[in-house]
Amino acid sequence: MATPDQKSPNVLLQSLCCRILGRSEADVAQQFQYAVRVIGSNFAPTVERDEFLVAEKIKKELTRQRREADAALFSELHRKLHSQGVLKNKWSILYLLLSLSEDPRRQPGKVSSYATLFAQALPRDAHSTPYYYARPQTLPLNYQERSAPSAQSSGSLGSSGISSIGVHTLNGPPPPPPSLLPGQSHPGPGTGDCLRQQLGARLAWTLTASQPSLQTTTSKGVPSATSRSVTRPRRDGDAGGAVEVTEAALVRDILYVFQGIDGRNIKMSSADNCYKVEGKANLNRSLRDTAMRLAELGWLHNKIRKYTDQRSLDRSFGLVGQSFCAALHQELKEYYRLLSVLHSQLQLEDDQGVNLGFESSLTLRRLLVWTYDPKIRLKTLAALVDHCQGRKGGELASAVHAYTKTGDPSMRSLVQHILSLVSHPVLSFLYRWIYDGELEDAHHEFFVASDPTVKTDRLWHDKYTLRTSMIPSFMTMGQCRKVLLIGKSINFLHQVCHDQTPPAKVIAVARSAEPLQDAADLFTDLENAFQGKIDAAYFETSKYLLDVLNRKYSLLDHMQAVRRYLLLGQGDFIRHLMDLLKPELARPATTLYQHNLTGILETAVRATNAQFDSPEILRRLDVRLLEVFTRECMSHYLRVFNFLWRAKRMEYILTDIRKGHMCNAKLLRNLPEFSGVLHHCHILASEMVHFIHQMQYYITFEVLECSWDELWNQVQQAQDLDHIIAAHEAFLGTVISRCLLDADSRALLNQLRAVFDQIIELQSTQDAICRAALEELQRRLQFEDKKQQREAEGQWGVTAAEEEQESQRVREFRESIPKMCSQLRILTHFYQGVVQQFLVLLTTSPDESLRFLSFRLDFNEHYRAREPRLRVSLGARGRRSSHT
Amino acid sequence: PYHKNHEYYEILLEISRILNTGLDMETLSICVRLCEQGINPEALSSVIKELRKATEALKVEIHMFTHSE
Repeated sequence: MATPDQKSPNVLLQSLCCRILGRSEADVAQQFQYAVRVIGSNFAPTVERDEFLVAEKIKKELTRQRREADAALFSELHRKLHSQGVLKNKWSILYLLLSLSEDPRRQPGKVSSYATLFAQALPRDAHSTPYYYARPQTLPLNYQERSAPSAQSSGSLGSSGISSIGVHTLNGPPPPPPSLLPGQSHPGPGTGDCLRQQLGARLAWTLTASQPSLQTTTSKGVPSATSRSVTRPRRDGDAGGAVEVTEAALVRDILYVFQGIDGRNIKMSSADNCYKVEGKANLNRSLRDTAMRLAELGWLHNKIRKYTDQRSLDRSFGLVGQSFCAALHQELKEYYRLLSVLHSQLQLEDDQGVNLGFESSLTLRRLLVWTYDPKIRLKTLAALVDHCQGRKGGELASAVHAYTKTGDPSMRSLVQHILSLVSHPVLSFLYRWIYDGELEDAHHEFFVASDPTVKTDRLWHDKYTLRTSMIPSFMTMGQCRKVLLIGKSINFLHQVCHDQTPPAKVIAVARSAEPLQDAADLFTDLENAFQGKIDAAYFETSKYLLDVLNRKYSLLDHMQAVRRYLLLGQGDFIRHLMDLLKPELARPATTLYQHNLTGILETAVRATNAQFDSPEILRRLDVRLLEVFTRECMSHYLRVFNFLWRAKRMEYILTDIRKGHMCNAKLLRNLPEFSGVLHHCHILASEMVHFIHQMQYYITFEVLECSWDELWNQVQQAQDLDHIIAAHEAFLGTVISRCLLDADSRALLNQLRAVFDQIIELQSTQDAICRAALEELQRRLQFEDKKQQREAEGQWGVTAAEEEQESQRVREFRESIPKMCSQLRILTHFYQGVVQQFLVLLTTSPDESLRFLSFRLDFNEHYRAREPRLRVSLGARGRRSSHT
Repeated sequence: PYHKNHEYYEILLEISRILNTGLDMETLSICVRLCEQGINPEALSSVIKELRKATEALKVEIHMFTHSE
């Protein structure tokens, strides 16, 4: 034998094998070959050749094992060794010793697990076939091998021992050999030999298998062995051939589960809607838990996937929904990318040679850590999906927006990103609408809804409405209204005013920015830029609209005209009209004809200043106006017109009465007995006149003028058509309520009507009286004339009969006077009663101006004297409370 | 043998004992020689471990059959 120093490594190795295995050289051939291979392939160490590092490691290990004394001892030894100069590769031997060192605390059971480890020796397919799939392939092989030589053995027993040992995976601890072999017959040593042979054969088979797998086995064996200390497998007592699932198999399964595909062990259980590990597989609890946690990721992925798939089939989902799905898809793609990275990592391990560093193995725990971030992301996405179920359009955007209000910045950025994508279609709708007035919303997603059944005359009011459900929550109501207005204005311009030219400034604003950028602006800039855009568009459009209306259609002039003619503002015109219409009005309404009226209208128009107005306005004088003012407005106007007309008429009537008085006064002076009646008439008439005057004053100045002034101011200041419309409606409202035309003042109105009726009554009575008086007068005059005539002719002036007749008539006349008087008295009484009632109602009315009217009507407290109710003193707020 | 006379050998033996490597003298000397000749200790240690496992396996087999009577 050569000196030890000169032995070649091979020889040394061989002797090493002999020693360890305790056999002669011939027996160790296979092992020796193996050893040679291993050594040969891993020539270069992967660890740093640092002696001191290793020494430190050793010390650390020793202290970890709480053997400080030994650590001190080791330091001493090392020091001594170091001072020795003989060894060249101190690092090497130290490292070797370290790696061979064993924790004395380790259980002896470990050793047997090594046995099974080696005995198992499964060559795996390099491409992700899980462990136990390979097992069946190997088993028959072994079986055949076994069954050939071991004819004597009971076939099952020894081999079952081996095979069951072989069946055990890296995870599980082997069954203690005795328990595995209950009552087996015991093959003699011969079988032992053939067992050994079998084992050897197995070894051989293993060794002849492809290198990588062997080395993988080795490498897997070693790390798994050491990692066993972390997860101590606990048998649950199930001895008979249960299938143990390796962690690696689980890892593979999990990778499938991440994509939503059922793995071999982990399947989707639809009953519980979660992933479950198959019950047959025996896993220790911690592995199971980890696997479950990872499987959650797969569940989340499924959920999101289901949503996007469903939605992509749904045609009516709309643009917003589609963009949402696209955003989700993008996120899923990122996720898939991660998965593919993990997969490739797994492949790499399969393909790689032995990598004695333990860091590369893909354990469940590692997966947990790596998938933590994606899990959060997927959770957010799944929550979004849940929240957005069944929504579309602006609602969807609102839902997503709600999720941006979270404190977690990564989640917020994710959701914001999705939100910007989702709101892109909404914004494009918006811009279309603002700048072109077009609405192409096939799926009813935008918050402006157009009603196609509405024709152009109701365009402004009814055609476009806000669909509040679709308003995204990041736009305020004011903004939405403005948007609606802008679009409406544009459409109005286009259709009603036939004005196709968009305002120049609007164009400039429109094309300036990309909508997508606006989406980002929307959320980062706190909507200032967006708001600015909307505002600019709004101002421009409205201004333009008003300009157009004023220039082309002279809206304001029209309104003035309305006032003048409908509301009887133009005094002389009205007077003339009144004169002309007087005979007409006396007739019942059915006999009036429109053409007559228009003819009269024409005359009146011509006769007055009205001819100086622009002919266009005159053309519109019959009560047709722009569709800007709705039909309700028109009806309101008509009512007001009627009211005013009536009032005016009363005035006229009274004036007539007055005139009549004037004319007849002289004449009737000759009828002294009549003067009482006449006087009475006078009084009544003056009362009425006073009343009417006050009413007129009130109506004209307090009501009409003030309201008109306000309206005018507002119209001048108005920024858009809606403002004008609102102001106008307010104006009409005030006028109506002040004119007692609205529902609340129905009582007052009735009273007023009663007053008017009385006036008319008076007029007729007075007419009758006057007529009677005049007639009487006439006849008397006639009589006188005749008398004189006869006297002139030399006859008796008056024959007795005639005189008799005359005096008869006079007597009759005189008798009728009291009747007239009483008539008048009744009339007066009635009238005064009515007026008093009116006054009472006035004083209790909530409207201040009406109350002031009552003061004016009663300025000399004439009625107050008569009406006890009016004597109630004023309350604190100037209101007389009404006792009923 | 030559190497056993050296102090370092004893030191190493002691270290080996402390670390509980289970190496006896002969094996240790072979290992030392191998290392001195430049063999990668990582590979060597894995070989040794495997060999040990094989040994254990064999022992188990033998134990099984001898004690199951």
